Amino acid sequence: MTQTVAVLGAYQSDFRTHIPDHTFVEQAQLAAVGALADAGMAGDDIDAFVFSLAPTHFMGVADADRWAIDHIFAAGKPIFRVHTGGATGGSAVQAGYTLVRSGMFRSVMIVGAERIAETPDAQEVLNLIFDVFYERDMPLSTNTTVGLWTTRYLHRFGQTQEDLARIAVRARRNAMKNPHAHLKGEITVADVMASKVIAYPLKLFDICPRSSGSAAMILGNMEMAKRYCSRPAFINGAAGVTDTYWIGDRLSPTSKFEFVDLGPAAPAARACYARAGISDPTRQIQVAELYDPYTVMYPVQLEQMGFCAPGTALRLDKEGFWDMDGAVAVNPSGGTLCTNPIAVSGLVRAIDAANQVMGRAGAMQVAGVRNAVSTAVGGIAQFFNCTVFGAEPYWAGGHA
Amino acid sequence: MMIEPPPPHARDDAPHSAPRGNGMNAYVLAAATSPPVATEHYRRLEELIYETSRRALDTAGVSRGQLDHITIGACDELDGRPISSMLMAAPAGGFATDEMKVTDSGASALCLGYARLRSGDVHIGLVTSWCKSSKTDVEAVMRLRGDPFFTRPLAIGALETDALFAQAVSEEYGITEDEVGRRVVLAYARAARNARGMRHREPTLVEVKSSSYEATPLRSAQRAPLTDGAVSMVLASDRFLKANPDCKPLARVAGAGWATDSYRISATRLRSMESARTAWHSALSQAGLSAAKDLDVIELECQTGYHEAAYVRAFGITDESVISPSGGAFAQNPLFCTGLVNAAEAVLQVSGTAGGVQRPNARWAAAHSCHGYAQQGNVVVMFEAIAG
Repeated sequence: MTQTVAVLGAYQSDFRTHIPDHTFVEQAQLAAVGALADAGMAGDDIDAFVFSLAPTHFMGVADADRWAIDHIFAAGKPIFRVHTGGATGGSAVQAGYTLVRSGMFRSVMIVGAERIAETPDAQEVLNLIFDVFYERDMPLSTNTTVGLWTTRYLHRFGQTQEDLARIAVRARRNAMKNPHAHLKGEITVADVMASKVIAYPLKLFDICPRSSGSAAMILGNMEMAKRYCSRPAFINGAAGVTDTYWIGDRLSPTSKFEFVDLGPAAPAARACYARAGISDPTRQIQVAELYDPYTVMYPVQLEQMGFCAPGTALRLDKEGFWDMDGAVAVNPSGGTLCTNPIAVSGLVRAIDAANQVMGRAGAMQVAGVRNAVSTAVGGIAQFFNCTVFGAEPYWAGGHA
Repeated sequence: MMIEPPPPHARDDAPHSAPRGNGMNAYVLAAATSPPVATEHYRRLEELIYETSRRALDTAGVSRGQLDHITIGACDELDGRPISSMLMAAPAGGFATDEMKVTDSGASALCLGYARLRSGDVHIGLVTSWCKSSKTDVEAVMRLRGDPFFTRPLAIGALETDALFAQAVSEEYGITEDEVGRRVVLAYARAARNARGMRHREPTLVEVKSSSYEATPLRSAQRAPLTDGAVSMVLASDRFLKANPDCKPLARVAGAGWATDSYRISATRLRSMESARTAWHSALSQAGLSAAKDLDVIELECQTGYHEAAYVRAFGITDESVISPSGGAFAQNPLFCTGLVNAAEAVLQVSGTAGGVQRPNARWAAAHSCHGYAQQGNVVVMFEAIAG
């Protein structure tokens, strides 16, 4: 028998470029303590841990999760670290979900911290993810690659840079209601267009910041949910799909997945929805917290995850479909465009989605949320995962 | 909100018991290790991984397209590139399927892979791990694990922490150099019978005892030589086996326990071996076993002879004939995935296909792995033979 999995509590720090007042392990501890307090639990109530930590090259301490073990109350307990690049936080949530759902543990804490600004230039590290023989000399970087992706998307669907700029404008505006967001404020399309070109057609405001901070989420089975949470969110669906490493192999007519479509998103969403009983995402899901470190990733995910037809997300955006009071509230938090602590970005997306279901989203709260979905993307759009949080547990036979 | 009734297997009754009759079992369909080699000159890491995963799938009679998930155990720092799974996922079978990576050890990946099957969401997967230790300055990676404030200035890596461990357990248990030397000689002798191992030259007791000190009390010949390698396992659920009756399991995964100790390398932590004991008892309990005497094979990860002496005591192993028939790390030792190699050897034992190191009538086998500074983390996985 598999177990129902509930979100019992969560914590996220305020995010900013540098965290000079805490060490890495203190950041992790703040998150662990915060999540325990939110759930009304103590360290001994946690059976197992999953540490969410992407490349440690940013920080310069290998396997830094081990350093944090004493600080997160995990010493002597089951713990492992999950690392799937930018998708890490989403994968970590899904690993924690697996440990509870399998019946192996009653409660699991997913916790992580990021201090990406310890390295003078994160791009120097990220440039090393490209293949040393073929692709690194192109010269590909995360920015240039997504620049190519954006050009291809805009060309294919006849959209403009201004259409994408509206995504950044909305993100910064939404983030003004998010006390934890790194970037926030009123900007205009003209501001986005006038910001420095990083990799054509991407401007500075099309791209996420380098954020540091920490986050934690506590999951439990139904027994723990009854004991600790009056209004839990339930993880009703979780899925992930991996694409090829080779970008060139995503661009040919025979490619299984097309690069511009963020190929793994559609099959992952289908699998996730099937598990969660979602047949019409636009009607059944009220909030989407998308992993969107670049503006182009916002419309692509909406289209590939079944919220609208390919090429229509930006047009619908003009009509307010993705506003807080639109058909689906997309990234009420401001999303990854405003805050990107890589190690925990996917975890923060999941926390923001779960909080909406639990009615704990504060000023970001959308009314009447029954289902919310979060995503995470890693590698060069190679790893994709998504998780559906529901107000009620779902079984294959229907809602309880 | 409607609340579901408590399930019949309520947590407090059986917090870790592994299933058997409720359709949530996990089985090993195949286990493959790469050919043993100290330094792999001729194949890139991707090729090493691909060939091993391919062989596991072929042995299992499963196509890559059938996989609904893979679980990777790998370490960026040892692989020498950030997010190493980007390049390695496809060779490991991870294309158009659900992929996760854990960074603690190959055996840790097996634990997650086991949990994923038990979740009921997925039904057929690969667990793959690797380490090309010859291409890596392993000690530099280990020193990078030191926190920047207290541990790193001491410049201690695997050698020094293994030596601290050896000191601590020697004092705790009265372990002598004679015993350590004897265990090393016997481990090499067992490894010499393992066709999947390096078949290193067997040293004499005098050679071990007179080898040079590397870090007190460790001598060079007491340490298992590093090798390059990859290991892959195909895991399947009851449902997959029912739908694919031609696929015959080699073993049932009967339990998986893991734990990690404090980061502090204190004498208290080193002597207590708490995470090892926790992982051991958890896995035993899940398998419905009570003690080491219930096992026919126990594949221990022992980077030195001191480790074997310590783990034998911590796990209460009294019958020495069950210890690491494969030779363990003295047969092949691709560091990060040595524990998953142990798991492969344990599976071969309970399936009666271990070749020259086969133990008679092996029904229950345990595989152990340790990782981190001075064995900060430990993993134990139990395997049961398939009846009939």
